[in-house]
Amino acid sequence: MTRTNPDVTEGAPTRQETGKSLFSIAWKQFLKHPLARASLFILGFLYLLAAFADFFAPYPENFLNAYATFQPPNKIRYRDQDNRWVGPYIYQMTKSIDMQTFEEIWTVDESRRYPIKFFVRREGVRERYVPFPVNLIPIGLRHKLGIKPWATLHLFGVDDPSDRTKLYLWGSDDVGSDVFSKILFGARVSLTIGIVAALVSIAIGMIMGGIAGYFGGWIDELIMRFVEVLAAIPDLFLLIALSATFYPLNLPSSALFTLIVIVLSTVGWGGIARTVRGQVLSLKERDFTAAAKAIGSSNGRIIVRHLLPNTLSYVIVVLSLIVPSFILVESVLSFFGLGIQPPATSWGLMLSTAQAFAGVTGLTERWWIYTPGIFIFTSVLTWNLLGDGLRDAFDPRSRQ
Amino acid sequence: MFAFIVRRIVNLIPTFVLATLVAWIVIEIAPGDFATQFAFDQVDPNKAERIRSVLGLDRPWYVRYLFWLRNLVVEGDLGTSLTSKGSVTALIVPRMTNSLVLLLPATILTYLIAIPIGVYSALRKYSLGDRVLTVFSLIGLAVPNFFLALIFLALSVQWFQANGWFLVPTGGMTSTDYSDLTSFRQLTDVAWHMIVPLIVVVTSSLAFTTRIMRGEMLEILGQDYIRTARAKGLSERVVNYKHALRNAIIVIISTIGGILPGLISGAGTVEFVTGWPGITPLFIRSIFAQDVYVIMALLTILTLLLMIGNLISDLALALIDPRIRY
Repeated sequence: MTRTNPDVTEGAPTRQETGKSLFSIAWKQFLKHPLARASLFILGFLYLLAAFADFFAPYPENFLNAYATFQPPNKIRYRDQDNRWVGPYIYQMTKSIDMQTFEEIWTVDESRRYPIKFFVRREGVRERYVPFPVNLIPIGLRHKLGIKPWATLHLFGVDDPSDRTKLYLWGSDDVGSDVFSKILFGARVSLTIGIVAALVSIAIGMIMGGIAGYFGGWIDELIMRFVEVLAAIPDLFLLIALSATFYPLNLPSSALFTLIVIVLSTVGWGGIARTVRGQVLSLKERDFTAAAKAIGSSNGRIIVRHLLPNTLSYVIVVLSLIVPSFILVESVLSFFGLGIQPPATSWGLMLSTAQAFAGVTGLTERWWIYTPGIFIFTSVLTWNLLGDGLRDAFDPRSRQ
Repeated sequence: MFAFIVRRIVNLIPTFVLATLVAWIVIEIAPGDFATQFAFDQVDPNKAERIRSVLGLDRPWYVRYLFWLRNLVVEGDLGTSLTSKGSVTALIVPRMTNSLVLLLPATILTYLIAIPIGVYSALRKYSLGDRVLTVFSLIGLAVPNFFLALIFLALSVQWFQANGWFLVPTGGMTSTDYSDLTSFRQLTDVAWHMIVPLIVVVTSSLAFTTRIMRGEMLEILGQDYIRTARAKGLSERVVNYKHALRNAIIVIISTIGGILPGLISGAGTVEFVTGWPGITPLFIRSIFAQDVYVIMALLTILTLLLMIGNLISDLALALIDPRIRY
């Protein structure tokens, strides 16, 4: 605040400053954090890609191509041999095997150009999809309501009437799937499972912690003993054992998603319950609780309306810090083959392909099968930074 | 103090028993059992049922649990592995040793590096060095262990293709000619195989510990008694190392109990990727084979380790921090 001359009264007093809520202060502080702001932007972009994966990805999720396993990325060219601008196009790549070393050799067939078109429609039954906000509605309900919004539009695709040439922007994997498309579809699982599981853990943790702290006595003893028992078993092994309860069942991917969320939140809620309980223990001695009791509020109302909202700033910070850890855990479970199953995919599952061929090829050949790792890294890093920013924003001591 | 230890241990017993029960139930929920894989035997359709009755798998789960618990408590017997037909203890002990061979140096290295780095970062807050180290620790926290291990393996192959010899091995714990080597060469052979898993495990735990150490040190440096110490004219060295560091180290000690189980979990994927014959690969294998007793034994031992670790760190805190007395 720079005030030039305190003696000059500036007309009518403009006193519009109302009391600021904790959240508006925190939001202002958050925006001052450059890394957190950048993270929010990057994460927004990643989630946008995940939401509209069908549109951005040139090929559907279950796309296979036995003719092109481990094909290197197609080089996108813009100029023809005479260096004239012709727009983006690719050449077909063909595989041959060197009979001396049995190495796969990919050669570029320069006889024909395959142009890349934008906003292409693919009318095939297997390639149409349900666009983003609608695909969140369960299939049964969609049928009942009669919604059939099939979409066929893709951001880009290669123009080949015979449909033999495929565009592999980031190469192909061991079954000839397009790594680029798979990363976008994998983002759906990898990025959302963390949030959903974090929300579920927090809901359970808040309710259990609230009940334990508010009622005390044997309920407290029971809940906290259970938390202690769960905490006594090392997390990774409990997670693996829990995942093993459903991996052989051959379930559809939506059911698997739900089960993984259940597994993650089973392990995740304990720590939150413990802290919420501690906060509720002190909050319930405060005057506002006594006031709520005096006007005859029910116990449930006191817990939900008066006690738990006071723990919210803690909970928001925890949310942003357990999401990245859940993203990591999901990738580990899928990597072990205990998480999401093909044809659905997640980044961890994609890396298990890299694991299957690790120690066989160097990093520079087939480098593209390691790209999911970079996406895990980026999303975990940005979530962590976001969490740091939120923590600082809610911490009165680090305000600027 | 003694009474406190006894009370804590007595308190641990029901938690421990309940934890094994929870683990047992989790394993029971999994569909099918060890005998299921023989259910579609063409020659002998009754094979699965026979195996079940021979192994006692046809009894109710709580009966089997109680038998298992009785054998564990009375005889210290962890049961017989269903796949290898040998005693579970004999199967697990070498695996635990292998994991420890990797984890002990990892733990020591982590502390030797993390504490000085954390202190340095805190004392020179927002300096260039601090910023670089913070970036590194953020990166270390975000890279999945198994991904880092995969990259190292691929680089190792790359090196081999370029130079014709291995800078670091592509996995395992020993070379194929291990048994022919002299004992000194055996030692160096294991150490050579340990390079990659050790680097990966230390990287991730380093990032975590450094951040804790830095945060705690900063917190303490902002306390009133530090200002008092400075005000009464103590040298910067005494203030930093005698007043601040000694208090900051307490938080490290309070996490020391969770370090071993934490590292076992953290190293788990690394063992899996680099083929280090530790606990986690065995656990995964047993999970897929539904080898109940091996799974239970590992869960039990790790649970016990975690509980003892927590107890030890509580006691260590009491020893070091004069404010805590039991």
